Amino acid sequence: MRPRSIVIAGVGGQGLLTMGSLLGEALLRQGYRVSVGEVHGLSQRGGSVVVFVRYAEYQPSPVVAPGEGDVLVGLELIEAARRLHLLSRSGLAVVNDFLLPPPAAQKVPSREELVASIGKAVKSVFVEALPLAEKAGSPVAVNMVMLGALAACSRVDVSLDSLRNVVAARFRGAVGAVNVRALELGYEEALKKLREQVQD
Amino acid sequence: MASRGIIGEAGVRRLLLGNEAIARGAVEAGISAATAYPGTPSTEIVETLAEVAEEYGFYVEWSTNEKVALEVAIGVSMMGLRALTAMKHVGLNVASDPLMSLGYTGVVGGLVIVSADDPNAHSSQNEQDNRIYGMHAYIPVFEPSSVQEAKDMTRELFDLSEKYSTAVLLRTTTRLSHSRGEVVFGEVPKLNREARFHRDPERWALLPPYNLRKHRETLERIKKLGEDLGSWHFNWFAEGDGDTLVVSAGAAHMYVAEALKTLDVRSPLLKLSSVYPLPRRMVEKALEFDRIVVVEELEPFVEHQLRVAASETGRTPRIVGKELFPRVGELNAQLVASGLAKVLGVRYEAQQGPSAGVELPPRPPTLCPGCGHRAAYYAVKLAAMRARTNPVWANDIGCYTLGFYPPFRMADFTWSMGSALGIGMGISRFSKEPVVAFIGDSTFFHAGVPGLVNAVYNRYPIVIVVMDNEITAMTGHQPHPGSGMGPLGEPRPRVSIEELARACGVEFVEVVPAYDVKRLMDAAERAIRYVRERGLPAVVVARQRCALVELREKRRRGEKITLYKVLREKCVGCGICVDKFACPAILRENKVVKILPELCAGCGVCAAICPAKAIVPAGEGA
Repeated sequence: MRPRSIVIAGVGGQGLLTMGSLLGEALLRQGYRVSVGEVHGLSQRGGSVVVFVRYAEYQPSPVVAPGEGDVLVGLELIEAARRLHLLSRSGLAVVNDFLLPPPAAQKVPSREELVASIGKAVKSVFVEALPLAEKAGSPVAVNMVMLGALAACSRVDVSLDSLRNVVAARFRGAVGAVNVRALELGYEEALKKLREQVQD
Repeated sequence: MASRGIIGEAGVRRLLLGNEAIARGAVEAGISAATAYPGTPSTEIVETLAEVAEEYGFYVEWSTNEKVALEVAIGVSMMGLRALTAMKHVGLNVASDPLMSLGYTGVVGGLVIVSADDPNAHSSQNEQDNRIYGMHAYIPVFEPSSVQEAKDMTRELFDLSEKYSTAVLLRTTTRLSHSRGEVVFGEVPKLNREARFHRDPERWALLPPYNLRKHRETLERIKKLGEDLGSWHFNWFAEGDGDTLVVSAGAAHMYVAEALKTLDVRSPLLKLSSVYPLPRRMVEKALEFDRIVVVEELEPFVEHQLRVAASETGRTPRIVGKELFPRVGELNAQLVASGLAKVLGVRYEAQQGPSAGVELPPRPPTLCPGCGHRAAYYAVKLAAMRARTNPVWANDIGCYTLGFYPPFRMADFTWSMGSALGIGMGISRFSKEPVVAFIGDSTFFHAGVPGLVNAVYNRYPIVIVVMDNEITAMTGHQPHPGSGMGPLGEPRPRVSIEELARACGVEFVEVVPAYDVKRLMDAAERAIRYVRERGLPAVVVARQRCALVELREKRRRGEKITLYKVLREKCVGCGICVDKFACPAILRENKVVKILPELCAGCGVCAAICPAKAIVPAGEGA
């Protein structure tokens, strides 16, 4: 089996590193050898961040090269578009339908423009994560919603059950319950959208 | 991002960050002390050790700089105990003075120096290859090639260090330090060593008659080590087909292993983890091949040593390396596969990814919402305008370096730790415009103090603004001598920046809360005028605790945070808060602005600078 590659793209502060380590642990529990590549950038918040998660039956390297990604999980539209080249042409983009323009940016493409151009370039699923996270109990749980959405994709072997287990083990009490709920809501939403696409 | 996740019995399996694995290796080696000055990508090593220090019973400190950190570790070794010190690659420049003599003296207790290099300069001013330091200082260099190896090698290097009585350099890179991989834990021993000062002045006092003898002994030690490393288990040969040997060094091995699988070739392989000195027997075996391909990141360090060995032994294999693989930036499996395919004569086409086909705005790193540095830059810029000057903006290394970006553009140069003062002084001696130097609190203690003393002694007309957020923020909030706490938040003496400045003889010292834009502007303007009129240094401390720390503590205490909102009917759309102040929590919407409640930190500075008084507290938020 060739290594499978997941790229997580977003803005610093959205919880990408947490997603990477949870995903890595889940895949480890599923019996794979795993590498999670992080780059801790210059700023604590607000910069462009990308995390790589790769798994295989042997130890894969931690870097996803251009054209190699199986799934791109985008937590923000501009950042998803910025990392699109890391996907293979037959890859899948799972994107939070959310636009956060960089501070003091001059020319910012519109939400609609970004959704359309990502959708045209690759097969993609757009999820509105914020309302789902709020429904689960916290606007901060957007990252969990997107992890759940990833589990709904058959391109990579990430099971909702193993994610649920690692999330419940990592976060105790109320936070754990909110996060598990957010995972499930993201999973259901993405599954619904993927089914609709098949019917189209 | 560190965790107590390295506590556990032998046999436990965990997904660890490379840096956490190094920390676990140090625990399994039975260290007595760990020291560091934080720096990406090395920080989590000692951060993790600090969290488990009590559990396993050893000493941990954040030192004022890397030179001090290394010196403390040397002292511990002279007590017969094991010590680890970790630093980013450029940190070793600061520690290089004691390092160069450490090669001569050797050690008593095992001493591992971790150098976390940053190929691609993800968060550094350069991508220097610190393996060369090892050769320069006669300190053996070792490179792990997986997270598990990082743990195992760290543990074993302490034994090796003591066996050969030499300090060792464990060199990692960003991709290894910041990758997570599976690690199986080993035993944690009880060494029960007696701490005893190993008095030996002829060895430790580096005086003229003794140092030449030591130089000779050091050369012998390195030679002996090169002979013994031929059987070291982290170096290995794998048989294969063909007359081309692939040599992989350190982290590059991750990419080589994957590339060979992708290309579906079984070339003979030499995996090297001791890169200085090279294991002699393996080098001799390697030189029997017709062709040798060396895969390593950054400089042709192993490649050059092989060329020298070839010429010494009279063999003539064709050795290739940097003509196939880039010397700039980091490698990946695809780049390695492309290079290997060329030399091995197999077909390989690098894949091309899709493109969204839209022009995207860059997203440079920014100061966080509520950051005191933003308020300080805003105030000092206005002060310079009011004083009718166009200062040279000297800047330094830390979160505040982000003042480089628009709209502030207040970093005409940033160099190395403390250089805002040093280089700033050189400019100020001949500049008609004043020099305003920004330096962070942690950087000030690290390398700013000697510059400040020089400014007083040599009478430099320089304004020094200490951007004091009371913590080493950019690397993830490690305390420093001005924080008033130790590695785990326990109370410690606080070294006062302003008292230190006054004690050095600076006459103009003012301390202003950074959020108080008006007062800070006045203080900075007075400082500029003072420097211009008196030709002497002035220090302004712009103090505001890091907003992230502040918010975290307020949440922990259950305190409410007052957020701010825009009164749309009052907003005149002047854009000062968006274009001049540039808080990420404020966005333009149609002709007015709005504040994103999920980003607002409640600092209130935007409300203070709004000329239309259109920004007001929004009542209580979460």
